[in-house]
Amino acid sequence: MTLVLRFQIRLSYGRATFAPRTSSEQPRSIPQFRGLRVILADDDALNRTVTKKLLEKLGCEVTAVSSGFECLSALSSAENSVRLVVLDIQMPEMDGFEVATRIRKVRSRSWPLIIAVTASAEDNVWERCLQMGMNGMIRKPVLLQGMADELQRVLQRVGEGL
Amino acid sequence: MERTRLRRQVALTRQSLFDQGFLDEQFIQLEDLQDDANPNFVEEVVTLYYRDSARLITNIEKALEKNSLDFNKLDGFMHQFKGSSSSIGAKKVKAECTLFREYCRAGNGEGLPHLSVQGLNGFAWIHTSCRCTRTFQQIKKEYATLKRKLEAYFQVVRQAGPAETACWPK
Repeated sequence: MTLVLRFQIRLSYGRATFAPRTSSEQPRSIPQFRGLRVILADDDALNRTVTKKLLEKLGCEVTAVSSGFECLSALSSAENSVRLVVLDIQMPEMDGFEVATRIRKVRSRSWPLIIAVTASAEDNVWERCLQMGMNGMIRKPVLLQGMADELQRVLQRVGEGL
Repeated sequence: MERTRLRRQVALTRQSLFDQGFLDEQFIQLEDLQDDANPNFVEEVVTLYYRDSARLITNIEKALEKNSLDFNKLDGFMHQFKGSSSSIGAKKVKAECTLFREYCRAGNGEGLPHLSVQGLNGFAWIHTSCRCTRTFQQIKKEYATLKRKLEAYFQVVRQAGPAETACWPK
């Protein structure tokens, strides 16, 4: 059975009056993501709050932590129930790359999935993410549609056995 | 009806914040995240922004007071501050931050050639540090103005009551 999900791409900049979106226009909790257990690691409280809400809006169950250390310990205590880790790359003490490396030392490449969040505009960040065993990457600012797209892409690749 | 008048006031105030360039699309992203479970999400995030960034502003101020400016450190603080400002859609603040970071890079000898310190020694350095200081004054000004405007906006929002998308009591 094939499940087809179509995402409506909204070109918000075309709306000159910046009209607030009505509830019918807001992205809904997508069935594929409902109940998806996520650990979110970001040292910035503001980003953490916004990204957590964003993931919850998509239907995910989110545990938010503020450091690489907390992320690793949350992951080990959750055993295998966490499907996805969303990781800010630029964290002090232990950055996202190191967290990913440590996760991949003991876990397979597809469980948990790891999506990096970066402010960097450099081209080689994605390569580095891949080398560290990450499955996806999002550039800041994190947008609802952007996260939904990347989540879907990453889950789909796993489904295809890549 | 009073509620209708207040709702219109909310819409007009909101629109003017965009029209006058204080806010950008990112603010709408926050509004999209607001729902019945978190009916005051936008205001909470903005409050968090002003609370957290106050510390960054103090750090930048202290760093600017030094006799010898550490442009790398300043750029690091500003990267964080710009990121936060960007997250709430603070358009003018963000623009000034970008300018500040350009001056930091110039202060490090990177970036715009006519601001490079090579061969110009003290003069160019002082020039750049003055620009950093002045740009920072501008940042603080925009930051404070936005705070006032957003506080006034949220006050009207609260007066107008729950939005149309809220669940009405049965």
